[in-house]
Amino acid sequence: MSDARLRRVQKEIKDCAKDKTSNISIDMIDESPFHLIGAFPGPPDTPYEGGYYEVDIIIPDAYPFQPVKMKFITKVYHPNISSASGAICLDILKDAWSPVLTLKSTLISLQSLLCEPVPNDPQDAEVAKHYLADRESFNATAKHWAQAYAQAPAHKKKSDTGKVATDAEMAGLSEENVVGFTDMGFTREQVITILKKLNYRGNNVNPQSYNAVLEELLK
Amino acid sequence: MSSDGENDDFFFEDEYDDASDQGEMMEDIDSTSEPDVYDALSPALEEAPQRKPYDVTWKVKTLQEIIDMQNKEITKIQSVLEVPASSAAILLRHYVWNSEKLQEQFWNDPAFALNEAGLSPPSSPSTRTIPLPQSPSRRSNRSIRSGPSSPIRRTRSVVTSGPFECPICCMEFDQQAINKHTYSMGCGHRFCRDCWTEYLSGKIKSEGESAKIQCMESGCGRIVREEVIDELVEKDISKRYHNLLNAAFVADSPNLRWCPHPNCEFIIECSQAPSRMLNQIVPTVGCKCGHDLCFGCGYAASHRPVLCKIVKLWEKKCADDSETSNWLQANTKECTKCQSTIEKNGGCNHMTCKKCKWEFCWVCMGPWTEHGTAWYQCNRFDEKSGIDARDNQAKSRASLERYLHYFNRWANHELSAKLDAEFYQKTEKKMEQMQNSGNLSWIEVQFAKQAVDAVIKARTTLKWSYCMAFYLKRNNMTELFEDNQRDLERAVENLGYLLEQNISDTESISKLRQDITNQAAYVQKRHDILMDDTLKGYLERRWEFTVDI
Repeated sequence: MSDARLRRVQKEIKDCAKDKTSNISIDMIDESPFHLIGAFPGPPDTPYEGGYYEVDIIIPDAYPFQPVKMKFITKVYHPNISSASGAICLDILKDAWSPVLTLKSTLISLQSLLCEPVPNDPQDAEVAKHYLADRESFNATAKHWAQAYAQAPAHKKKSDTGKVATDAEMAGLSEENVVGFTDMGFTREQVITILKKLNYRGNNVNPQSYNAVLEELLK
Repeated sequence: MSSDGENDDFFFEDEYDDASDQGEMMEDIDSTSEPDVYDALSPALEEAPQRKPYDVTWKVKTLQEIIDMQNKEITKIQSVLEVPASSAAILLRHYVWNSEKLQEQFWNDPAFALNEAGLSPPSSPSTRTIPLPQSPSRRSNRSIRSGPSSPIRRTRSVVTSGPFECPICCMEFDQQAINKHTYSMGCGHRFCRDCWTEYLSGKIKSEGESAKIQCMESGCGRIVREEVIDELVEKDISKRYHNLLNAAFVADSPNLRWCPHPNCEFIIECSQAPSRMLNQIVPTVGCKCGHDLCFGCGYAASHRPVLCKIVKLWEKKCADDSETSNWLQANTKECTKCQSTIEKNGGCNHMTCKKCKWEFCWVCMGPWTEHGTAWYQCNRFDEKSGIDARDNQAKSRASLERYLHYFNRWANHELSAKLDAEFYQKTEKKMEQMQNSGNLSWIEVQFAKQAVDAVIKARTTLKWSYCMAFYLKRNNMTELFEDNQRDLERAVENLGYLLEQNISDTESISKLRQDITNQAAYVQKRHDILMDDTLKGYLERRWEFTVDI
């Protein structure tokens, strides 16, 4: 079946190159047609708009009877994508895979995953908590990440004009809260890690979680 | 029976079956009518095996019988619902062989039931009638039907007149080749046969799927029928597929369980051990392959008298803790005075505790003052002071010691069990020897084998009794349990000792034979008492555990 696999992958790459409307690209990294890079623009009307997302694609031996292995190369702030490794939690990449699905259709599914996060089945629990706790702040952070990592232009929103996002903004935390703890003598890095972990955002900023943060910091 | 109303009631309460009722009734009338005393002692004393209130009945089934059970059910549904056999099978598997639920759902809304189970035809209006008329020759019918004129939604699958390109491998097939080289199920999704074979083989071989293999089209829930799979895949894979179907059937039935022993293909059927009963009974059953297993949890041996849940906890604890504990046990000891844990990493056996400056011998744990000039070598292991010191240490190691205490005894019996074969062999040899030198007949030396049987059985029970004791709360009942345990342990030790004796002359053989026979009977009796008391204790809710059960 290996020639069928090769035939199919080559056809998929060719078809994708021919298709100009979908804006999806699939390119070879080296000689091997079984290790590819897919790329697509961030979907409009999302914090990812304007960004350009690259995906590492590995075609397994049993393709297309086994799902392709995909993970984001570009860093993405999204509940179903690991902010550290780019690993993706999507059913069609696992048990819902079907041999009729193609690289292109899978990349389109990833694109629509960016439009519609599924926070109840998260890959990155911290990001999912942020998404559920304070949507506005989540969107802002996702936008910062898009600008910092996915080359999204920074001039779309008035407030962000020309300014590089701070580490607190990248973590979706308010500068005020971070400074509140660093003033006590904790390092900035430590404070951001723990505030992220305890989801110290939006309604979660209250005396009770304040104490929880302190406890964690003092450990 | 009716003459003695009081006893009648008693027996019914205890769920004795009729046959044993009769026997016991007779004796009971003779003796005083004190049900409690009688109940506690009688079953242990009686030789004849009879059903105890904590025993379960079971049947050993062959694979063929399991297949027949499924076929019977399928035939029934087939005729009741008027669907083809393969549809009936798919429906039953979807409803986990619950035919009442299936029938209820089916008569409620046939289209929905079929759809749920993965039998949806492509166009809805004819849903109900489609499976009916096609039964045996369904496949060939469809192949012809689903040519260019068949109702196919996917435009890329079949273009009415042009060649067909398999959407998976991108091979093209012209009109003549379509029927021969491609295949589509009732859902109309057409692919080439090679891709089907590859797909189905992969699902069966590497993913171990059976009853739920769906159409290759994304989002199409149509289940691939048995006969389709048999036709499309290689023989050995088809065999594996059917094995998986049977395995799934057994796994789905609460009344069935595979015998867990390697290469054994029997299935145990038991309806008296539903999971809610497992906090009261230990359903040990015997397979025809000669091994015991627990029907409740599938443990590949008897773990009586311990409940399945406790066994699980114990095994987990052993897996988690025993390595660390073993290391501690192997590499450290405690100062016999201040109980600091000490790892000896070199030097001589003359230890001086860093903390309390106590001097003692690493080997015998006794005080160093008694050693005199016996440097580096301790031959004083059995001195009283040494033993006392070791005992003191054992008492002090609180929870770790407690766990290790039970674990070591458990492990010790486990180890003995591993040497069973050797034990049998040795006895066999001895039996031959007795036949030769003592002029005993073959039948006359069988007592030795029976004694070994008794020892092995008792050791298994003893092994688990230590697991039980570890989880028991300390109270009077536990003390009784430990008394029984101790008696059995002692009896087994004595019998083991007797079995190790050498045979010198004819006279000693007959004496030894008498001793062994007596001791074996005693072991058997102690064993039954322990087992009986413990298992009845569950029914009477006498045992209190340190964990929730």
